Amino acid sequence: MRTLIALLLTLAAPLAQAFDLDDLATQLARPAAVAGSFVQQRYLRALPQPLTSSGHFTLARGLGLLWRLEKPLTQTYRITPGAIAKETPAGWTPLPGSDLAARQSALFLAVLGGDRSGLERDFELALSGDARHWQLRLTPRGALLKQVFDGILIQGGELVEQVEIRETQGDRSLLRLDGQARDALSADQRAAFQ
Amino acid sequence: MIRLQRPFLLFLFALLALSAWQWRHGPPVAADLLALLPQGAGDALTLQAEARMAEPLNREVLLLVGHPQRERLPALAERLGQAWSREPLFERVQWQLTPDLPGLRQQLLASRLALAPGQARDELIKTPDTYLQARAAALFDPFAGAGALPLEQDWFGLGLLLQRQLTPASKVQFDAGSGLLLTQGDGLSWALIRARTRADAFDFDAPPQVEALIEAARREVVADGGQLLAASGLRYAAAGQATASREMSLIGGLATFGTLALLLGLFRRWRVLLSLLAVGVALLAGSAACVLLFGQINALTLILGASLTGVAADYPLHYLSKSWKGGPWDATAILRETLPGLSLSLATNLLGYLALACTPFPALTQVAVFSAAGLIGAYLTTVCLLPAWWQRLDLAPPAAPLRVMQRLLELRLRLLARTGSLPLLLALLAFCGAGVWQLHLQNDLRLWLGQDPTLTREAQAIARLTGLQPTSQFFLVRGADADQVLERQTALGQRLDALVSAGQLQGYRALSGLLAPAAAQAELRQALAGWGERLQPLLAVGIPAEALEAELKQLQQLPDLNLDQALAGPLGEPWRPLWLGRTTEGGAAGLVSLQGLGNAQVLQTVAAGLPGVQLVDRLGELRGLFVHTQRLAVELKLLASGAIFLLLLWAFGRRAALRIVCLPLLAALAALACLGWLGQPLTLFSLFALLLITAIGVDYAILMHEAIGGAAVSLLGGLLSGVGSWLSFGLLMLSSTPAIANFGLAISLGLVFSFLLAPWASPPVSHEKDLRHG
Repeated sequence: MRTLIALLLTLAAPLAQAFDLDDLATQLARPAAVAGSFVQQRYLRALPQPLTSSGHFTLARGLGLLWRLEKPLTQTYRITPGAIAKETPAGWTPLPGSDLAARQSALFLAVLGGDRSGLERDFELALSGDARHWQLRLTPRGALLKQVFDGILIQGGELVEQVEIRETQGDRSLLRLDGQARDALSADQRAAFQ
Repeated sequence: MIRLQRPFLLFLFALLALSAWQWRHGPPVAADLLALLPQGAGDALTLQAEARMAEPLNREVLLLVGHPQRERLPALAERLGQAWSREPLFERVQWQLTPDLPGLRQQLLASRLALAPGQARDELIKTPDTYLQARAAALFDPFAGAGALPLEQDWFGLGLLLQRQLTPASKVQFDAGSGLLLTQGDGLSWALIRARTRADAFDFDAPPQVEALIEAARREVVADGGQLLAASGLRYAAAGQATASREMSLIGGLATFGTLALLLGLFRRWRVLLSLLAVGVALLAGSAACVLLFGQINALTLILGASLTGVAADYPLHYLSKSWKGGPWDATAILRETLPGLSLSLATNLLGYLALACTPFPALTQVAVFSAAGLIGAYLTTVCLLPAWWQRLDLAPPAAPLRVMQRLLELRLRLLARTGSLPLLLALLAFCGAGVWQLHLQNDLRLWLGQDPTLTREAQAIARLTGLQPTSQFFLVRGADADQVLERQTALGQRLDALVSAGQLQGYRALSGLLAPAAAQAELRQALAGWGERLQPLLAVGIPAEALEAELKQLQQLPDLNLDQALAGPLGEPWRPLWLGRTTEGGAAGLVSLQGLGNAQVLQTVAAGLPGVQLVDRLGELRGLFVHTQRLAVELKLLASGAIFLLLLWAFGRRAALRIVCLPLLAALAALACLGWLGQPLTLFSLFALLLITAIGVDYAILMHEAIGGAAVSLLGGLLSGVGSWLSFGLLMLSSTPAIANFGLAISLGLVFSFLLAPWASPPVSHEKDLRHG
């Protein structure tokens, strides 16, 4: 029996290593664009029901993210590596440059785009599963982040499917993404990044 | 005079004992050149405020550790921070922040109504509906940025507004992952480390220690492929100290060597070296008097004082030069003959220094005290000790120098016979007029500090990378109590905001930016009372009414926040140095500090019409004081000349006294004109040099007038002491501190003219009577 377990373990080891962080990064960075819908739920201790919002998104490799919130209100955001802007009647208006917000957007892009170095700066990464069904667990490193987050759990297959953020005070936020890989951006989408 | 030998030796031992006691804890030398600047003219509170603002400069060391690879910074900063924390020199070393999140949340909750005046607060009061709609949208904005408060404690977002206002974006960013303060620039990432010394910066040992630690840290960081930048007032102090000791030994050494060579070369007797005893006693007496009067002696005084060497050697030189008179050299007899002249020249010198000591400039006061005490020491040595030790000294100096002097005097007489003195005087005055006309004044404080370009470059790089550009100007705001101080700072802040938006000021920090005064807190509370009717936008996105109403009720019941509470919280830290607290007159006072000021002129009118607001501009005040001191020094000098004239009137009669007083003034004027011709500025220091020249010139003139041993012998005596003085003062031209080099140049010029003009002080000869003006 013990021999059998040992045999299984030796066989399983290369399998477990077969899908590592580099593979994940490559896999997530492969499509030129990803587009689809999202649902975000914030579970707050004080509320019986989660705060729910939904909309559509477009992630373009090397350009950034368009995030179109449709419910409960309509608002489109554009996240590029350097800045976040909001669509207003006057055009794209940069959001006030809060450092924390800029960091969060960088983090968000890093999560969706599989930019590993951006994540490793602040979190310890633990990957499990295989290319079709993987889980990435993020545990904060610094003293401040530890006071805020318990951890972040990202799950997915070919693309990121779900991001769950657990805060130390018991609140939880769940983001579900239902996206399709695309080879190219539509002209409208491309224009939005200009 | 032999009788005086024993009491003098007793005095000398007492002086030695006093000096030994004064130096028992190491040298009582202050390296802070700025300490020699006059105190501000303001009251006790202004002085307290100035001290508060100067403290970081004197005690803080700012380090930037840079590396091309950002991820290596935490380890580098940690190692450096740990090493420095172990140094007993530092009171605190900060390289990593661990924010106190519970404390921060508590402060935000308690301060929500105290949101300082500004655009955000205006919106809450004037357009609450717009605000609440935006707030509802922000709840679903994944990028709005989370506040430190959990959402269920901050539905209305007041805590978030407050947090943004109290932690504005800056070039230096807190890195939540590593806890470091980071900035980017010049192709590197940089971590900020701050250290605060335990001792006051200008304790003599601290600056070199800090400099050594910085250099050691630099070597380590560079070895790891990084870069280190450091800025601190301590570094300037260290550089000042190093320069002072280097120049003191160089100039003092050259002066001593030169004087030795002069004495031995001319008199060829080892015993004449006893003249140096006068120099030693002079230095000892000077420094003892300074430490006695001021508690410490400044390095600058010591540099200028070390050059007193040559002047102190004047007395023995004059005395020895009488050996050219011919005949056997009898020390006692010569002393008896020269004593009146020596005493008079001491008295006139002391009068000159007394005038300088009366200026409100500690630098001049200290140098005057040092010089006066030194001269008395040298005089006493020459009069009491040297004659006894020079009994039976057989002096036979070479005749050549005397022959040269005689030839010079004959040449002068032949010239005068042809032209007369008046045309020469007119030519000199024309030269002076044209030179003085080209003269420009310079009272830049940078002259005062020999600026080390490396230090300045590093400090500028740090200012550029961190965006921290503190200015020396600040505002002092007084009020009846803390609340009135806040109201007055709010009013000042509105005017400063205008400067900021006009690009004339980068920013400012005021207590009124930390919290609003009580009346404004009440106003916001009042405005929030009407929000119960306006909750629709938040209700529409699913926030329960109970939660919103509970938070509104809590806000209504929030007590007024006072300044002490706000300062005590973790967010209050940067504001703490700005609060001076209760004043002795029963009021309260706080400061407003400024950042990145383009032109100090724009501040002049900002405080106008604002009660209790005062602009404190130490640099501007100093510039004014420099100019004032220059004028005062000239007036005092003229006054002293008057006193010297009276003294000489009693000794020599009207005509001679007038000449003896006017010749040195003319020499000083000519030297001044030369500065103009050379394009050199007139500074407080060159002015001081010229004042000194008038004192030295009076010396020469008196000795020429007395003409003991004949005009040629006296002129030679003048030349010898002139060379001696030049060896000491003139060599200061070599100094790298502009102020001191400027002093050396002025004195060299003055010495030349004093020597050239001295013969006119000789008793009148028949064909030379036309010089009436002196």
